[in-house]
Amino acid sequence: MQPLSLHDIHKTFGARRVLQGATLELNTGTCCLLTGANGAGKSTLLRICAGLEKPEAGYVDLGAGRIRWKRARRDLQRQSVYLHQQPYMFDSSVRQNLAYALHRHTDKATHQTRIDMALDWAGLTPIAHTWAKQLSGGERQRVALARAWLRSPNIMLLDEPTNNLDEEAKQRTLALLMSLKAQGIGLLIASHENNYFHRLADETLELANGQLTPRTATPHSIGNIVKLTSIRQATL
Amino acid sequence: MEHLFSATQTALGLLVSGNAELWAIIGISFRVSTTAILIAVLPAVLTAFVLSYARFTGRRLLISLFNTLLSIPAVVIGLSCYVLLSRQGPLGDLHLLFTQTAMVIGQVALCFPMLVAMGHSTFQAADKRAWETARTLGASPLYALLTVMHEVRFGLIAALLAGFGRIIAEVGASMMLGGNILHYTRNIPTAIALETSKGEFAQGIALGMVLLVMAFVLNSSLHYFQGKGQIVG
Repeated sequence: MQPLSLHDIHKTFGARRVLQGATLELNTGTCCLLTGANGAGKSTLLRICAGLEKPEAGYVDLGAGRIRWKRARRDLQRQSVYLHQQPYMFDSSVRQNLAYALHRHTDKATHQTRIDMALDWAGLTPIAHTWAKQLSGGERQRVALARAWLRSPNIMLLDEPTNNLDEEAKQRTLALLMSLKAQGIGLLIASHENNYFHRLADETLELANGQLTPRTATPHSIGNIVKLTSIRQATL
Repeated sequence: MEHLFSATQTALGLLVSGNAELWAIIGISFRVSTTAILIAVLPAVLTAFVLSYARFTGRRLLISLFNTLLSIPAVVIGLSCYVLLSRQGPLGDLHLLFTQTAMVIGQVALCFPMLVAMGHSTFQAADKRAWETARTLGASPLYALLTVMHEVRFGLIAALLAGFGRIIAEVGASMMLGGNILHYTRNIPTAIALETSKGEFAQGIALGMVLLVMAFVLNSSLHYFQGKGQIVG
């Protein structure tokens, strides 16, 4: 299954051309690491993938061929979850933050069990009733991952998930990301900390001058567990 | 000084003894202003939200317009509504002038720009990640709006209280549109103005006390809930 496919994406902010023909395909259960200098457009690309930002040109293919942006945005938001560099915590407890991800689920009977599972999965059970805004950066990241996990997305889009975290928090976040990948969720991670993700990423792409170029493939991609097609440079 | 002391004593006596005329005036004031704020609040919050989160031509102009309307004197709003509702006006056939409905219309016109301007500032100051997080977690636009409103609830409540404070204490529009008719359109500020002009300070002071107590209760409630929001956890 191919949950995400973006073709020939262009985006400018004022006079600055951030993306100039980026093409990206990502399969379920794969991990793609997006690298590049600050301001290269990594976050913008992630936000387009999440349907939060509209590209000026290019199109999204989610298995049904070329579709209009309005529908593409709806589909992207339906099957992906975007995690900010500093995840936002709603003004409520950790448990209530997790419950938010289930607000559209009709099967209310299983809510508490699912939330308990998510708390356990992310190691959040001891702080389940803590006010989420009072958490540390690492704890917030785990709440955001657990919350996203409860939404059962096909793909997760993570913007600098290990930024500003201490070593222990980074390792815990990485372990959760590996677990997500093992569950078949596609991961697109924007980060400048390549070292942390070399075990996780199947492919590393560099974003420079608005274009994506593949970097050296990691051993995983040779094993073909994951198929992340590399990037086609669209003609301008 | 002695005169003021004596007037205050009489005012307290009127309040405590349950003076029917005085409490009728207080009742009219609260009924009219509460109705006005309830009518205005939902469209005002939605307008404020759209001005903060949507991008469309004329948005900045609208924001400037609402900020300008914020400083318009109540008497000018009263005059505009009077022209509309008077017999020769376009809405004259409705015969609303000198009724509580006319007062409500005037107060809605008065508090709507204030609620929009303050609501807009509140939404602008809100963390945009709240909306994006809600949407990315599958919330519909309406549910995401409710989520953001919950996140900025104290700012919105403050706007609501400020709006209510403005309309319950304004005299210009109420006087022009209501006509200050006893037991029908006489509210606290118009009664204070009338009694003071007659040199009858006691009732004016009593009604002024009610306004002060109301302002104190509303502000204390806001601080209490704000404190609760921060302490719980």
